[in-house]
Amino acid sequence: MALPKPNKTLTLTESSYIVEVLKGMALTMSHVIKNLLNQDFRTIEYPDVRKPMTARYRGAHRLLLRPDGGIKCVACMCCPTVCPANCITIVAGENPDDPAEKFPVSFDIDMLRCIYCGFCVEACPKDAIRMDTKIYEINAYNRQDMVHSKAYMVNLMDGLKPEAGTAYHVDKTLAPAGYTAEAPVRP
Amino acid sequence: MPKVKINDTEIEVPAGTNMIEAAKLAGVEIPHYCYHPHLSVAGNCRMCMCESVTPRGSVLEIACNMQAREGLAIRTDTDQVKAVRKSVMEFLLVNHPLDCPICDQSGECRLQDYYMDHGQYDSRGLEPKVSKHKRQDIGDHIVLDAERCVQCSRCERFGDEVTGTGDLRLMNRGDHTEIGMFPGTRLEHDYQGNLADICPVGALTSKDFRFERRVWYLRETAGLCTGCATGCNIQVCHQDGEVFRYLPRRNDDVNKSWICDPGRDLHKRVGSLERILRARVDGSPCTTAQAELATRIRAAGNRVGFVLGTQASLEANWALIQLARGNCPEARFFWVSGNDGDAIEKSDHLLMDIDKNANTAGVQLLAEWVGNVGDTDALREADLALLIVLEDDIVSRLNGGALPELAYFGSRENATSAQASLVIPVTHPAEMDATYVNRQGRVQRNRRATNPLGEAAPAYAALEKLGTALGKAPGTGLPVATFLSLARAVPRLAGLDYKVLGNTGRLLAPPVAEAK
Ligand code: SF4
Ligand code: SF4
Ligand code: SF4
Ligand code: SF4
Ligand code: FES
Repeated sequence: MALPKPNKTLTLTESSYIVEVLKGMALTMSHVIKNLLNQDFRTIEYPDVRKPMTARYRGAHRLLLRPDGGIKCVACMCCPTVCPANCITIVAGENPDDPAEKFPVSFDIDMLRCIYCGFCVEACPKDAIRMDTKIYEINAYNRQDMVHSKAYMVNLMDGLKPEAGTAYHVDKTLAPAGYTAEAPVRP
Repeated sequence: MPKVKINDTEIEVPAGTNMIEAAKLAGVEIPHYCYHPHLSVAGNCRMCMCESVTPRGSVLEIACNMQAREGLAIRTDTDQVKAVRKSVMEFLLVNHPLDCPICDQSGECRLQDYYMDHGQYDSRGLEPKVSKHKRQDIGDHIVLDAERCVQCSRCERFGDEVTGTGDLRLMNRGDHTEIGMFPGTRLEHDYQGNLADICPVGALTSKDFRFERRVWYLRETAGLCTGCATGCNIQVCHQDGEVFRYLPRRNDDVNKSWICDPGRDLHKRVGSLERILRARVDGSPCTTAQAELATRIRAAGNRVGFVLGTQASLEANWALIQLARGNCPEARFFWVSGNDGDAIEKSDHLLMDIDKNANTAGVQLLAEWVGNVGDTDALREADLALLIVLEDDIVSRLNGGALPELAYFGSRENATSAQASLVIPVTHPAEMDATYVNRQGRVQRNRRATNPLGEAAPAYAALEKLGTALGKAPGTGLPVATFLSLARAVPRLAGLDYKVLGNTGRLLAPPVAEAK
């Protein structure tokens, strides 16, 4: 097979590479010296150190609670309607004890499909969903765990993921008897 | 016919036509709440206000109370009309709760629709809203939220004029006017679902559909209710192959704008657990049931009988007749009248017929055409080895008595499917194109809304497959062609096709003897 021709023949100094290598090392060393003098490291020691995210950064979604502990979301279906990635699945139910009448029995967002556009936040008439957690490490070992459930998102407060195994502070009274706070297993 | 003028369009309409309807014919939409084509005129919402041009100048008048007469001219596009609409909307919304996120009417709400067109947008409301009773359970099918009511009185008039039950009433005065029931009473009639349909807002909503789905997700297909011989026209509302509700579809000659509650509930049958989804031979699932049935038909020789189905479509019955004629010329036809075991046997003067079969008139028509169709007694006496049954639950209809071996083409489990040695699944009407003849002799078309579940196929297609296995296919694989061949053969259907039937159906031609 014929090799493509280089579009430029190298000069003698270039083809010896020595000058070019020295140029590169000079650049590296200039950064080393700059950093030593300024202590202004461009590289951070992730994950021990994290960059502060800007206020408008859209991270993982969280669901908000009312002061009385009930979930703010009333399953109005505005967010699944507006979602361009079609990744929000809500099952609505009736809560006989709550003046809000309607609530989400389950609320799942498939984070593998989400494009972080933030339309769901904008569409919500109840300020029930926000993407202000600044969480960008959205990962899991399998696809099913990438679907964030209602219980998970209610607990995504203060930019912290709930520890595995911690008790969720989802108030079970948000749901009438017979409903579980966890999302039902989808077929 | 008088000529009326709406804005700049002149149009001829029958004398006495309501001007809201006349405007619709002229392509002008007049917003309205209280006017309903099948209720009396109340004229209380004032939303339909328009300017009528008179020799004395133009006067504001409500369109719903104007009847078409020669020379009547109205305008709906003047600044005055627009200002009135805006003010009416503002008044209606002064005390209206911000319930849209939890309101089932959202998406088909006239307040929402008209607000987008004629709204005030910037609220001038300073006073707190008047609150009323929310979430009241007033009947088996209806939830009432009095706060959302716009006092149009449609529901009141429905109770007074249609069902004659007079149950809902507007009480108190001024902004405390509230719709409600008399203390200790509940809605008792069988037409409650219509209240949710006619309520232009979300005050009366359906219990069955409550929070099930947002209406903007639903697609609508023009179907037929197959709950009884009336053949009410319905809109099948479905999403992703799942049927969520039936709504009445207007047909002034059949059901006006109404359907009964038992009929409305029939949407649950489409995806119900009682559906037959797989073919069975002698009780166990079988992928070659059609071939097996063909073998047994051949074995039975001329001791095969075919039972026409009063619940099956014209196409399915025609397929059965053609199949029998082509493959078993000696075979006899039967017709078992009566209702299935699981039928809700209610009837009244309004819509519900005691005959719970959608196509009795169609079977009658085909039976006359075939001639010599045996009735129940003939079936009991006949010496048969195999009986092919189309959809009807003949075991519960015959109520005991020895029957030969049964092969059942049905959509749901019943006494016949339990007794039949061969069961072939067929579709629910919502899953196929077909026609039915109602009690008036009106041939009506039903359209396919969703895909068939499981192995179910439309009965005519299933019979086509059986015909192929037997050697002579009836040629009924496709509904359009099936109906065409049927209309060519049966004189009383002459000239009809799916296009002619349209959305409102056509009456059968009178029998030949009468025509002469
Ligand atoms: S951020 Fe966008 S894509 Fe993601 S759930 Fe919200 S609307 Fe859907
Ligand atoms: S838009 Fe808000 S209230 Fe509506 S379903 Fe989504 S999160 Fe819930
Ligand atoms: S009746 Fe209409 S405007 Fe009122 S809450 Fe329901 S959807 Fe909204
Ligand atoms: S409940 Fe509905 S139909 Fe009845 S008066 Fe109120 S708005 Fe009209
Ligand atoms: S529709 Fe004419 S006043 Fe209500």
